[in-house]
Amino acid sequence: MRFAGNTLAIVRKDILLEFRGKEALSIMIFLSLLLLVIFNLAVDIQSENVASLASGILWVVFAFSGILGMGKTSLSERDDGAYLNILFSTVSMESFYIAKVISNLIFLLLMEVFTILSFVILFNYERLIRTFPALAIPLLLGSLGFSIVGTLFSFLSTGSRFGEIILPFLFLPLVVPVLIGGVSATDIILNGSPGESPAKWLKVLVVFDLLYLFISLILFRHIVEE
Amino acid sequence: MLRLTDIGKTYGLRPVLKGVNARVEKGEIFVLFGHNGAGKTTLLKIAAGIMPPTKGKVEFPGNQDDRSRIFYLGHRNSLYGELTVLENIRFFLDIRNGKERTTNLRETLTDFGLWQRRNDPVKALSQGMKRRLALMKGLISGAGLFILDEPFSGLDIRWKDTLIERFMEIRKNGGSLLIATHLVHEGCRIADRIGLLENGAMAFLEERERAAEAIIQERLKNEICR
Repeated sequence: MRFAGNTLAIVRKDILLEFRGKEALSIMIFLSLLLLVIFNLAVDIQSENVASLASGILWVVFAFSGILGMGKTSLSERDDGAYLNILFSTVSMESFYIAKVISNLIFLLLMEVFTILSFVILFNYERLIRTFPALAIPLLLGSLGFSIVGTLFSFLSTGSRFGEIILPFLFLPLVVPVLIGGVSATDIILNGSPGESPAKWLKVLVVFDLLYLFISLILFRHIVEE
Repeated sequence: MLRLTDIGKTYGLRPVLKGVNARVEKGEIFVLFGHNGAGKTTLLKIAAGIMPPTKGKVEFPGNQDDRSRIFYLGHRNSLYGELTVLENIRFFLDIRNGKERTTNLRETLTDFGLWQRRNDPVKALSQGMKRRLALMKGLISGAGLFILDEPFSGLDIRWKDTLIERFMEIRKNGGSLLIATHLVHEGCRIADRIGLLENGAMAFLEERERAAEAIIQERLKNEICR
């Protein structure tokens, strides 16, 4: 009960902070929009090729926009030494980590919904809306993977002078399996032949999420205490 | 309540603390004086468990990993600037000891001159108000051991007196305080025992009755910084 109560209190506080400061979400949404516009200019996206390009473009936008936002949520703990509230409390490091993963996941999912709607409007690709219930599962699993890895490394990098620069270098190589799983599952949902199932890639996402979660739970305490 | 034995700390090759011994008993206020750079903050961080000593040990009764019985306040206030005064307190209580202590919140906020500003974001408060709020959190924390680094910093004379009264109440109720300050007059008013750090060593350790304010003033004036 204490674990759940503490986790919920931190998530509630993070959402309130974001609602007031609008830092993480506004940065993520702005960057996602910017990246979509850049893709629109750089790649000749037409109604014939939008289906084959959508999954790749979307997941690249999710990864790059997401990492910026996750850096912000760990910074809120560092400002004014606020993390000391957590250290001198009944909150376990595991509970603190899980709470941060959940907060980041919520912000990521909000950004992803916005990105998908922007994609539909920019590229006139309504299939994304129609397939959204099926897309929700790889989105959730992939975002969870991003959040698990990103939360860990955002705390590691905020302790460094070049934190915001280092973070993508640490984050992106590790989320490659999540990216591959997410892109492949999304592609099958959007373009797969009848009967083709994204289940194999969803399993890959589940395995990597669990693996990263297990490793991160061990490492997080050391990172925060350092 | 708290025992520091032969504490040593080096930053690189530079020794900051050299075999410091100190103890704070239940219901006692230990005041630590020292010039800038004498090692007071380092000693307090080690006592609170947020910095490991290079040598020596820190002991307090019970589970050494349970820091929820300690209230530590360093130079920073550990507040979330975007949240209001009340939201900061509620979050602090949520992760510390539940909601059972919220009944006297109005009285305590009024005592610290913060009731009128309870719905204002912390970032809109003056430095003195932020310090008062940070200290107030300690008073409602239910902690048994208070480790406070320059608690009077930024407070005018009225609030210093209020704070001193509250420290006396904590002592009367069996709480222990380890306080570092450069304000000799205020420190001598509240101390049961006094320590003076000089160049990382405890140069002076006396009961208050034997440690005259004038002697400490003189020692601090004549101390040559390393």
